Amino acid sequence: MSDTEIIDHTVPRLSAGKFIRGTRIVFGRELEAYFDSPIAYIYAAVFLVLSCTTFMNSFFLDGIVDMSPYFEILPFLLIPFVPAITMRAWAEEHAQHTFELLMTLPLHSSQAVLGKFLAALSFYALVLAGSLPIVLMLVFLGDPDLGLIFSSYLGALLLGAFFLSFGLFASGLTRDQIVAFVLATLCGFFFVLSGHEQVVEVLDGLSPAWQLGTWLYESISVLPHYQAFGRGVIAFSDLVYFALMSGFFVWMNQLSLQRSKY
Amino acid sequence: MIKVESATRRYGALTAVDQVSFEVGKNEIVGFVGPNGAGKSTMLKMLSTFIHPSEGSVTVAGHDAVTEPLAVRHNIGYLSGDTPLYQEMRVDKFLRFIAEARGLTGDALEQGLAKAIDLCSLDTVLKQRVKECSTGFRQRIGLATALVHNPPVLLLDEPTHGFDPMQVLAFRDTLRSLRENRAILFSTHIIGDVEAISDRVLIIHQGRLLGDGRVQDLAERAGIPGAGLEEVFAHLVRTTAPTHV
Repeated sequence: MSDTEIIDHTVPRLSAGKFIRGTRIVFGRELEAYFDSPIAYIYAAVFLVLSCTTFMNSFFLDGIVDMSPYFEILPFLLIPFVPAITMRAWAEEHAQHTFELLMTLPLHSSQAVLGKFLAALSFYALVLAGSLPIVLMLVFLGDPDLGLIFSSYLGALLLGAFFLSFGLFASGLTRDQIVAFVLATLCGFFFVLSGHEQVVEVLDGLSPAWQLGTWLYESISVLPHYQAFGRGVIAFSDLVYFALMSGFFVWMNQLSLQRSKY
Repeated sequence: MIKVESATRRYGALTAVDQVSFEVGKNEIVGFVGPNGAGKSTMLKMLSTFIHPSEGSVTVAGHDAVTEPLAVRHNIGYLSGDTPLYQEMRVDKFLRFIAEARGLTGDALEQGLAKAIDLCSLDTVLKQRVKECSTGFRQRIGLATALVHNPPVLLLDEPTHGFDPMQVLAFRDTLRSLRENRAILFSTHIIGDVEAISDRVLIIHQGRLLGDGRVQDLAERAGIPGAGLEEVFAHLVRTTAPTHV
């Protein structure tokens, strides 16, 4: 290894191509790590069974030939499911001391954060795709509104991305996976329940002058934005909401990594 | 290649490294010696850009560790004291991940991997998961991650931890063979390692640098000419009054 001239040690500028390459390297390792763990398969199976059971109930008992029951229950299922995916992402890096390895590789911290986020999103998308046989069944049995199904899936993907972003942020704040899980679950409860009709009424009743429930529903809650996709509406404002909220937590995740340096 | 000027690192009220200055040049192997908790690992973490100095400056290969961390990381091979490895990964995949993350591609990637595997004698465990390897092998995998991109600066924190005596001897030979065109700084509390392979010694205690030089020179300065590193080390540590906790 004395021939140091083999490898060019001049510092490359972080071009878009190099940024994507570094992100892809982290993404590949992270995605492989998901499938290395038997827990991931258990989570995926449990999630699919729970979500599809909801659909099957309404399909067979109520005779509803669309996927709306599946998408209506999804936000509530994601409250514990997504933190279960994300809790290990950074907490395990700290526990195994690989955080130091990752942070001393010539990668920008944003590449590490994005790589992890995209790997988690891909895993979630694969789990979500596990419900596609329902779509095939509906097409075979009747004439479902495929546009509505597409927008609902898009909403579900964006909802998952949002949940994953704050789940990863929570994981970056602690070395303890359980703490990361609890933090992200509480966060999920807040964003979902603040859009629930009865919660809004209760909060408004507690502070009639402030209309706290209505304010939370209109400005912060994820439910109204997600539900629009379930009605077949792909509105620019809803896309912006998900992009901003997810981007904010990804950015916060990156900032939280910097604190270990000080 | 390495220049540290008045580097200080505080953790709240604790000063882990206090006004430390030294340099390490090309073709030089420098041993960083001190008791547990002396500040060796903290100093190496600053050099690796993992943490910032609270005061002072740390420069590696002409790049400031705080303002140009990516440039520093391109030029270093760093083995942390915890030997951090992804336990679930297969050894060959893990090394490839590190090599790719270090920016190697094509022939340089394959050559870097082949040389690191050969130098660290990892052929027999390549298809095993990291967690299935012995402590000695894990340490060698860690060393391979530091060498895979053939860096001009090597920072090794307790590199012989977990090695058996034969592996220690082999490691010393390996390190000697890596000296050319390289600056190597390794921390240890094993005096034998330092005496066997270091050109120069840095002695640190309670965050302060007590000595910087060849063992003979340090012995003379300490007033015990002809003494070995062990005596010099013990003398310097004992005669230094604790200045802070």
